[in-house]
Amino acid sequence: MGSGIPRINKTSDALLGALDNLFNWAHKNSLWPLFFGLSCCFIEEAAAFTSRYDLARFGSEVLRGSPRQADLLIISGTVFKKAAPMVLRLYEQMSDPKWVISMGSCANSGGMYDVYSVLQGVDQILPVDVYIPGCPPRPEALEEGIILLQKKIGSCERPARPVLHRAGGWEGTTAAILEDGYTKTRDTRGPGFEGIAERGTSLTPPRFWGSRSDLMWTPPTPRIEPTEREKSLADALRERFGDFIRPIEHSVDMPAYDVDGSRIKDVLRYLKTSPEAHFVRLDDVTAIDESARRDRGVTAPEGEGAPSSEHPPDYTLVYHLLSYESASRIRLKVGVRGSDPAAETITDIWPCANWYEREVYDMFGIRFNGHPDLRRILMPPEWQGHPLRKSHVYRATEMAPYTLEDARAMQPLDGRYFVEGADRDDTIILNYGPHHLGTHGVCRFVLALRGEEIVDLGADIGYHHRAAEKIGERQSWHQFIPYTDRIDYMNGVNNNLAYLNSVEKLAGVTVPDRARFIRVMLAEMFRINSHLIWAGTFLHDIGMMGLNFYAFREREQLMDIIELITGGRLHPSFFRIGGVAMDLPDGWREAVDAFVRIFPSRLKEYAQLAERNPIVKARTVGIGVLSKEEAIEWGLTGPNLRACGVEWDLRKKMPYAAYDAFDFEIPTRTAGDCYARYLVRMDELRQSLRIIEQAARNMPPGRHITEDYRYAVPDKRDTLKDIESLIHHFVNVTRGPKMPKGEAYVPGEVARGEQGYYVVSDGMNMAYRMRIRGPDFAHLQAMPRKIIGRPIADFQAMLGSMDFIMPDCDR
Amino acid sequence: MEPLPQNGAHLLSPWEPGVLGLAVYAGAALLMLAAILFLTSWLGEHKPGPAKDLPYESGILPTGSPRILYAIPFYLVATFFLIFDVEALYVFSWAVAFNDLGWTGWLQMSVFIAVLFISLIYVWKKGGLDWGPESRE
Repeated sequence: MGSGIPRINKTSDALLGALDNLFNWAHKNSLWPLFFGLSCCFIEEAAAFTSRYDLARFGSEVLRGSPRQADLLIISGTVFKKAAPMVLRLYEQMSDPKWVISMGSCANSGGMYDVYSVLQGVDQILPVDVYIPGCPPRPEALEEGIILLQKKIGSCERPARPVLHRAGGWEGTTAAILEDGYTKTRDTRGPGFEGIAERGTSLTPPRFWGSRSDLMWTPPTPRIEPTEREKSLADALRERFGDFIRPIEHSVDMPAYDVDGSRIKDVLRYLKTSPEAHFVRLDDVTAIDESARRDRGVTAPEGEGAPSSEHPPDYTLVYHLLSYESASRIRLKVGVRGSDPAAETITDIWPCANWYEREVYDMFGIRFNGHPDLRRILMPPEWQGHPLRKSHVYRATEMAPYTLEDARAMQPLDGRYFVEGADRDDTIILNYGPHHLGTHGVCRFVLALRGEEIVDLGADIGYHHRAAEKIGERQSWHQFIPYTDRIDYMNGVNNNLAYLNSVEKLAGVTVPDRARFIRVMLAEMFRINSHLIWAGTFLHDIGMMGLNFYAFREREQLMDIIELITGGRLHPSFFRIGGVAMDLPDGWREAVDAFVRIFPSRLKEYAQLAERNPIVKARTVGIGVLSKEEAIEWGLTGPNLRACGVEWDLRKKMPYAAYDAFDFEIPTRTAGDCYARYLVRMDELRQSLRIIEQAARNMPPGRHITEDYRYAVPDKRDTLKDIESLIHHFVNVTRGPKMPKGEAYVPGEVARGEQGYYVVSDGMNMAYRMRIRGPDFAHLQAMPRKIIGRPIADFQAMLGSMDFIMPDCDR
Repeated sequence: MEPLPQNGAHLLSPWEPGVLGLAVYAGAALLMLAAILFLTSWLGEHKPGPAKDLPYESGILPTGSPRILYAIPFYLVATFFLIFDVEALYVFSWAVAFNDLGWTGWLQMSVFIAVLFISLIYVWKKGGLDWGPESRE
């Protein structure tokens, strides 16, 4: 004994200990985080770097653009299976020693996204030093995480020996990668609860056993009265297409028709071009898997020849069109049958149908004959199955765990498949994203460059596919509200509002005036918030850093007001069916008034910074021009549409919430270039401020939630007084209210454009199909391609000016 | 110090070649370089891996080789810059001796600058300063 123990040399140990302390001191006080954000959490991470939270105090405020220069990886956001190989590569390319902070519930464990496309905890592919809880964690929480990491470096690491090439010692992350079943469990029931049933069994199609929705009664859905114009259009359609088109009785929101698959193209072409209809904009194309409908009879037995039209369709294609002149929409539905369903493409009528049809193909496996480029768009190329089919697996925890081997094997498709001319000698293929400072989210563009000139461009999306549409089929009508906050994570309650527009329309819920005004006021605050961050980052993209700091200053003031009213920052989830979660607190008026007083002078400051700056103008004026016709043809919405000269704003043209009670204007520009998009958004800031001011001044008294508690979560005080409220509280909070059978699509104007939820109810306590139409899907399809033929610097100006956000595009 | 000869050498600075001083200076510089290079290579972390040896391209595996025929419009502009930069050297040296050279020098320099200016206009009009894809429109 004794021979195996190294002789203790006190002098050299003391020296090495002192060196350890020196190295640790240097390491912990100069951490270099990688500029790396996956989703919502990164917005709070960015806030931590601004003056209010001042991360510079901890010596780690300089975000590095390249992993070679960084030694701290903050996983801020949801780790998607499609993005995981990229995350792993960035980690491996970082310089040693390196550390990892997992920020937010998604990175920690998958969080509320236990769904097929999301990795259930980044620690399955990377070692993690510090976990920060929260969804999203506040900037202070990130600071605490960094302090904890500094403590860990200071007290636990012994870097002197490895640095001096001696045996022993350790530095950097030494944690192990976790393995399901051995070092971690993904069982959602938690350890010790294996005896109880899996979650959500009553929601499992096709039987839905255990569901008690059928025992509940609701009044039928309300029904719209067609206008004169719609009546004459119905007559014209019947005259023209006869039996091939049938009006759907009992439509809640807009005239709807069942169209025979053989004539759908003729009908669509007629609706687009005929002067009496003139539905020039294709709002959305999507599908519904009908196989789990509860009133569906016995399906056609296999091998009985071609499925006849007598059987109910297996899938339904749904087209939503919009007419600018009459400010109205129309819905067309086409049944598709068979085990290998197919339909006709409409890309020759609307070029923007291209991506929508690709998405339907990816999600439902419906082929489109004649489509120019039919392949997967959101899911990774090697994905098995079509996720929105009812037969596809729902939860990630039902699937095999995603491991390090998967992250190495499932590489994104090579760049040459996205552009033409990739094999030419003088063409270079450049991947621009998914991890890029300029893409503002995990989105990948592939550029074919000849010199500086972009000769072709392809986009690869789906790196932020959080499967919100699938989740909508498994969460009760109330439970889905927090998921809407995260659809467009800069827009907070605006998402709630767009969702509730549809749900309240479907159920015929009336919202009290006070709640409607609170909704409008908060929605406009989030619009300002979103535009402020956009303005800061856009100008940053083209080389002007200044506005970022000012924009975040005002944003924090708004965040304080939002926190005062809702208790949340980024994702308040404050709206409820029939109203809002609670009444306005004491002191809200003073806080709002202070902002209304101060903001106009701040707007002047912004204008002085940017609008007279010759470099800003040289980079944006005449760059990335879209004509009015192109903007309409490609389905652009929001400020991007208004910058092309189309005066169209849902808040004004098809008012919802209480917008018809407010006095404001629709700012437009006609140039259609990057600068016009900037000016439109700046003007919208002024208009939003006007709305907030009016809402605060004219805030009506009354209830914050409807008195009819059939669908609402009752006010807690009422539940203590009468049994009806108590019963409704119990039912609506636990299994959730049942919605009458029907469907509705009532989009709202969020900061980036029109966001709409097409909710389809089969008379259950959750949606049968939850389709989300986001503005950026259309924008990303059309706008970047306008920069082909321009130098690469203009591409960045274009990307910045579009103001896109990936969760809203990939959902 | 001895009085300097009167044949115009007073224009030069009093300098005596000292090989020893130069050698010491060069030696010190080399030593410092060697010490820095040695310390960085010895103390620096060397943890190579397959991912680290790949180029960083937004987290995606790059397509094709970066060593291709590459059209560089910048090349022309850079050449023009060099030419005009070298010409500017003459202007600076003239400015230093401005008083000695007098009006003759001024006249000669004016002609020189005029010629430069004409050539700049020539390059400009020929499209030599145009940048990017617009130049071909």
